[in-house]
Amino acid sequence: MTTISAASPPIGRTVKKWLLPAVPFAILVALWGLAVLLFDPPVGVLPSPALVFEAPFNSDPYLANVGASVQRLILGFLVAASTGVVVGVAAGLSKPIAEFLGPLTTFMNALSGIAWIPLAVAWFGPGTGMVVFIVWNAAFFLVFGNTMLGVRLVPDVLQNGLLTLGASRMDVIRQVIVPGAMPYIMSGLRSGLGFGWRAVIAAELVGASLGLGAWIFEQQEFSRMDNIMAGALTIGVIGMVMDRWLLAPLERRTIERWGMVGSAS
Amino acid sequence: MTVPTGGAAQAAPPTISVEGLSHSFTDPQTRKTVHALDDVNLEILPGDFVTVVGPSGCGKTTLLNILAGFIRPSAGKAFVNGRAIERPGADRGVVFQELAILPWRTVYRNIAHGLEIQGVAKPEIDERVNRMTSLVGLEGFEGHYPHQLSGGMRQRVAVARTWVSDPEIILMDEPFAAVDAMTRLTLQEELNDLTVRTGKTVFFITHSVEEAVFLGDRVMALSARPGRIKEEVHVPVPRAERSWERMSHDEALQDTVEHVLSLVRGEAVEPTGQDG
Ligand SMILES: Nc1ncnc2c1ncn2[C@@H]1O[C@H](COP(=O)(O)OP(=O)(O)OP(=O)(O)O)[C@@H](O)[C@H]1O
Ligand SMILES: [Mg+2]
Repeated sequence: MTTISAASPPIGRTVKKWLLPAVPFAILVALWGLAVLLFDPPVGVLPSPALVFEAPFNSDPYLANVGASVQRLILGFLVAASTGVVVGVAAGLSKPIAEFLGPLTTFMNALSGIAWIPLAVAWFGPGTGMVVFIVWNAAFFLVFGNTMLGVRLVPDVLQNGLLTLGASRMDVIRQVIVPGAMPYIMSGLRSGLGFGWRAVIAAELVGASLGLGAWIFEQQEFSRMDNIMAGALTIGVIGMVMDRWLLAPLERRTIERWGMVGSAS
Repeated sequence: MTVPTGGAAQAAPPTISVEGLSHSFTDPQTRKTVHALDDVNLEILPGDFVTVVGPSGCGKTTLLNILAGFIRPSAGKAFVNGRAIERPGADRGVVFQELAILPWRTVYRNIAHGLEIQGVAKPEIDERVNRMTSLVGLEGFEGHYPHQLSGGMRQRVAVARTWVSDPEIILMDEPFAAVDAMTRLTLQEELNDLTVRTGKTVFFITHSVEEAVFLGDRVMALSARPGRIKEEVHVPVPRAERSWERMSHDEALQDTVEHVLSLVRGEAVEPTGQDG
């Protein structure tokens, strides 16, 4: 029996899409398991992979915590994405607006999102409102800045072309400016979602009683390393899933289809 | 015999008129000034096909941008149907030198765009777009995105996109520059037929003297920068009777080509100008 290693294109694609990216993870887990076998560390220092993978099923509030974090992320991200795109388009089109907001943006970017947490706790009190504010704050300036840049880079000739077809200013914004800025808007959304997710966890560590961040922090007190690691893995997996199943497909349907980027991701 | 356009047209007001037009660009950083156009005067009557030739950088596109309403001239005036040009409008369709087709719209939706904006009904859009697509030889590519087309096909999309909404005046900036030689001949003959049939007013920029003579009622030869009209050459054969076949052995047409070439050649080689 012979196996043909020069795989036909569909198989090759499956390998490239699923198997290849999975390999580094498999290696990491294998090394981790090996370390546990070899050194037999206490469970409070390094639990075995099996113990960690089981943890979510043994821990009752796990799903509720995951749900709370994801919900806050979605809420904060949606507000950040919509306000970021709208204000970004306005600033990209109008010099005065850009000049008005420019220094503020630089200032805000210098202040890391985490520095806002104590302030936000004071203003909103602990809980969802405060976390959402932190997410918004982390994602907004990324979406805003990228959108503004993208709008500025839309070639004049495309706008002029539409004006000679009798278009109104609003037509130009909707049909030329926004799609033309799409590559930048997408990259703003992508990094905004990533930073927003990190911000959720950071904010919950300090300022919430429910949520993955809060849960991990709480487990520390009980030295439940298995739960802590399960929480950390969940954070990573959710971050990856959102990028691959939410934003990458959106990118494929828009800018990749239009030939505005080399096919990425 | 039909009256040749540009002849006894005293009664008809010019579709486009340009008086003492000059334009300079000032670089906001270096404050250096480029004098692009100098004292250009021009009248285009309804149904006229005016072609413009001149060395690269002499201000042809600048003149078109002023007529389209994208830039205000530094001095002088430009009118369309007696009204001063202030902004772009659907009465002046433009085919741009850098194609203004949208990467996120398919061929069909690029061509249909103007009609959509004007609120034309769907069935009529469909009919007009289909007619246009077959006219420029893009059948079968309606669903393609621009990045999936060849350079020449993209150029045809650009022409179709402007043409389909039937503007009164069409301003074209080297629309056939990126098309292969064979297709170009076809497109030129089709453009000639189309304009003779529809009586559209056209302002057409080109680098090719032969193209300028083949298509135009008049050829405006511009000098090197700052561009001014060096000579306005009337093409002797009526447009309705032109074909490339005839171009190749009609002496009057050949002489016109030679004459315009001599005007342009002097400019391209030595910008300070040494005639004959
Ligand atoms: N927006 C601008 N800012 C500054 N200078 C400009 C601008 N547009 C054109 N120019 C300058 O004006 C001159 C005329 O440019 P224009 O584009 O009208 O030339 P053209 O005759 O169309 O040339 P080509 O045949 O190469 O297209 C050039 O020297 C160019 O550098
Ligand atoms: Mg030009």
